[in-house]
Amino acid sequence: MKNTLKGTLIAAAFAVGLTPLLNTSSIARDITIDLSGEPATMDPHKQWNPTSYYVYRNIFDNVLTRDNDGQIVGQIATSWKQTSESTLELTIREGVSFHDGEVLKPSDVVFSVKRITNKDFGSQQLGQFNKIVDASAKGNVVTLTTAGPYPALMAQLVKLSIVPEHVVEAVGDDAFNAAPIGSGAYAFSEWDRGVSVTLARNENYWGEKGPFDKAIFRAVTDPATRVADLQAGTADLVVSIDSDAAAQLSSNSAVKVLSAPTERVAFMGMNLDKPPFNNKEMRKAASLAIDRLGITEGLLQAGEIPMAQLSSPAHFGYNPNIKPFEYDLAAAKVITAANADLASTPATLATAPVFDQRIVQAIQQMLNDAGFNVSISMTDMPTFLGIVRSDPADNSELNFGRWSCACQDADGIAYPLLHSASNWSRLNLSEIDALLETARSSMDLDVRQAAYNEVHQMVRDNYYSLPLYQAAVLYGSTSGLNFKPTANESMFLNRMSISE
Amino acid sequence: MLKKAKNYKPWLSAAFYWWPISLLTLLLFFAIFGSWIAPFDPDRQNLLARLKDPGFEARGAVYWLGSDELGRDVLSRVIHGAKVSISVAFLSVILSGSVGVAVGMAAGYLRGWSETILMRLVDIFLSIPAILLAIITVAVLGPGFINVILVLSLTRWPRYARVAYGQTLTIANRPYVTLAHAMGASAPRILVMHILPNIVGPLLVVATLEFGLMVLFEAGLSFLGLGVQPPTASWGSMLSTGRNYVGSAWWIATFPGLALFLLVLSANLIGDRLSDRIGKGHG
Amino acid sequence: MLRFLLQRGGQALIAVFGVVTLVFFIQRITGDPTALLLPETATQADIEAMRATLGLDRPLLAQYINFLGDMAHFDLGRSFVQNASVEEIIVSRIPETLQLAAGALVVALLIGLPLGLLMALTKGRFISRWIMGIVLACQSMPTFWSGIMMILVFGVWLRWLPSSGTGTLSHLIMPSIALGLLSLATYARITRSAVVDEMGKDYVRSALARGVGTKRLVTKHLMRNSLIPIISITALELSQLLAGAVIVETVFAWPGLGLLTVQSIAARDFVVVQAVVLLGAFVTIFANLAADILYSIVDPRVRLSV
Repeated sequence: MKNTLKGTLIAAAFAVGLTPLLNTSSIARDITIDLSGEPATMDPHKQWNPTSYYVYRNIFDNVLTRDNDGQIVGQIATSWKQTSESTLELTIREGVSFHDGEVLKPSDVVFSVKRITNKDFGSQQLGQFNKIVDASAKGNVVTLTTAGPYPALMAQLVKLSIVPEHVVEAVGDDAFNAAPIGSGAYAFSEWDRGVSVTLARNENYWGEKGPFDKAIFRAVTDPATRVADLQAGTADLVVSIDSDAAAQLSSNSAVKVLSAPTERVAFMGMNLDKPPFNNKEMRKAASLAIDRLGITEGLLQAGEIPMAQLSSPAHFGYNPNIKPFEYDLAAAKVITAANADLASTPATLATAPVFDQRIVQAIQQMLNDAGFNVSISMTDMPTFLGIVRSDPADNSELNFGRWSCACQDADGIAYPLLHSASNWSRLNLSEIDALLETARSSMDLDVRQAAYNEVHQMVRDNYYSLPLYQAAVLYGSTSGLNFKPTANESMFLNRMSISE
Repeated sequence: MLKKAKNYKPWLSAAFYWWPISLLTLLLFFAIFGSWIAPFDPDRQNLLARLKDPGFEARGAVYWLGSDELGRDVLSRVIHGAKVSISVAFLSVILSGSVGVAVGMAAGYLRGWSETILMRLVDIFLSIPAILLAIITVAVLGPGFINVILVLSLTRWPRYARVAYGQTLTIANRPYVTLAHAMGASAPRILVMHILPNIVGPLLVVATLEFGLMVLFEAGLSFLGLGVQPPTASWGSMLSTGRNYVGSAWWIATFPGLALFLLVLSANLIGDRLSDRIGKGHG
Repeated sequence: MLRFLLQRGGQALIAVFGVVTLVFFIQRITGDPTALLLPETATQADIEAMRATLGLDRPLLAQYINFLGDMAHFDLGRSFVQNASVEEIIVSRIPETLQLAAGALVVALLIGLPLGLLMALTKGRFISRWIMGIVLACQSMPTFWSGIMMILVFGVWLRWLPSSGTGTLSHLIMPSIALGLLSLATYARITRSAVVDEMGKDYVRSALARGVGTKRLVTKHLMRNSLIPIISITALELSQLLAGAVIVETVFAWPGLGLLTVQSIAARDFVVVQAVVLLGAFVTIFANLAADILYSIVDPRVRLSV
């Protein structure tokens, strides 16, 4: 007992003595951001990882970017011209320099394109850029050549970061990853592996300079801890909190919740080759049973909108005229009662811990109330992906997912989920394949939109997939921070500001 | 220091003795008869009645302990959770204990090659991180109740083995054991009749510690997404979800937490008494 | 003794080898990381291409032989998830893990052992039950629960301690307590049980009759003979502390090996998992070896056998 008391007193003395060192001043010239994990790498071409992107999009400039309203605007490219169906000319901005002082030249743009499309380099993003077959520079114009018409090219260029050729060639990929040099608003300062990454303001930035001297990105896996960090003042901005956590923050005047609808579409995929969902009436009953409004307004409450198509207002290719799915539990029960044997087939709803389990459980309940026999199977992410992409015979009957292509173009969601060549898709319909391919290769926006309209209507009429809602993203921040979340979940430090 | 216990009031002493047993019996009662007692279906969601305070009334029925993040009745889930948490812990202890003690005793008594192989096997199992075993078991066998028990047993049996081994080493050279051996008793007979009774004391302590730990580890597995499948209510999964609501809907975690705490406490106190009784008279 | 050490040392190395081989093959049964590394929109062709780049399309045996070859050169490999050498990743986590383990052991031993001893010596009296109650309370809470409670109370409400992360001594306090609580209870209870067992033995009564003082009795006889179960438990606790701190590290954002293990398993980062298991295997197996040696030193009746 004595030991415990003495120990407590010593600990308390330590804590009190060290408290002044835990500076949580309110006139923050630095910003501390809690991310949900550690960045995998700082090399913009060498991963596909949202956490890494949060950090390195501030270190590197991309060819193009999206403004806060989602429109594509220039970043390294000031203007562009489609000179033929498969060539694009970009005029490169002058007066941009890298963090080491060297000027950014068009040859750096060509180098970056070639690096990311080089099969031997093995970029995880290769699939996004492999339609670019050549890049060349003349004067301050870079010409990109694609293998045939590629309407999604502009959207993909929003994600292409420019790396300095002279640095990468000099130090090699590994060293570049450990100490990246870009041209962005913030320069890489330090990486304490597992703990945090620190960036420092680039005073010579060509564009809008950031308001913070330093930005510290911390890796905090547990959402409850992120919320606690925000409330304790340890962090100024935290990502990925859910609506219930956001509700808890609303009573605290020192913090606030920020949200925006995103290009993530939540959907329920169905195995169209196995009972019970190989039957259209069953699929219809499933759709009637799900109360999408109940989910978005009762559970999520962050501005999510029920969707009846595999795209959203944030995507090109969205059709506002598609009728929303109906919710009619009684009608669903009538259908399942008429096909009682089929409806009682045991169905597994595959999911993984990253998904909001409240939604998954709510859906299971709704389906079972309608007469289905659904049980949840939660496995970790790799196992889940393995199940969902496997052959129809091994695949689960249902799966819940939230899809994002980071391109804000219907091609990025409809094609993988509906085209027969994709291993996510359970469909094998030549009409849909043809429509998707037309949309993918035509440069005419009207032709593309018309094709997508047809695809969306077919999905809606036949219930090939069950889109649920357009997801929203939630951040917590201190009340003095001005930050406008965007649909592509970008976090540009130099677009934020502080008001005291 | 070694004075005899002061003779405080006999009824107080009796109460201290009997309350853990009564509590455990009550919890076991919930585990077995829970389905009949619980006022609501534990999985019945009500999205309009989410996160309501204890005592909240809706459509004539009272949520005595409040409702959770999907509007389910916390009281009913706590009652049903007793079944899951207690059986998972109990079966895991039985399985891991039997295997572990058998291995440890064999190694400690037989010595030689048996000892080498068995104890190195123990080392191997101890070296594989529990979380790795858990993820692999779930990936290969799928998630579920039985597999949780399997995972827990696979990771815990070495502990019983090490303790049983150490104890058997000490006992194996005692006069009555060597005598029995000289008189021609077979190894199994010696192990069961002479060694086991003498090492039971610390083993029982370990077993009761493990029971409590199994309840907690099941909670840990739920926290990491590897426990019993949703929407099944186990105290562990309720605690795990409830910790995200500590500041606002404290009841979601507090009541299963309290139940868990009382279960572990009473089990440990009973184990304590038992080990005192059994431990006597062998020196 | 030397013979014993050499033979047990050899067995230990074989056991470590066995563990790593087992883990090597088991991991690859559960799938590979390419699906996680690539965007959702990746086609089957993209996946195959990435697999080839990473060398995961080669036959398992070929990969295994390659792995053995690397081990022989003390090359732990390269993580394709984190794009860094495994050695660099692990080395960056070791100090944090050691700090946490030391902190937890300090909490557990310095508080648990004396409490256990005290409980045994005051057995039967009221105070013993109260101490037992507190000890059991420590043992009845999951670490993720006690962790978030401490963060809320000391980090958010009182603001005495930092709510998460690492860096200073004050960052170490809460995680050590959270991790040490369970061990504390274990030590207290095992110590109590062992000392009580000892106290019932004849030699204690005779020593008291001979007029041996309490202090001498406790230190020279009781503690020494109670050491065997305590040693067993320490060896077990040590191996547990390395990789078993997963939950504490997750809750407190403490960048140790436990968190690394769980994240690497979730990402199917085989090389990192193998390296961590290798490290853990070494520590566990050699800790148990040390425990076995200590058994024989403490209790001469236990003869060392191979």
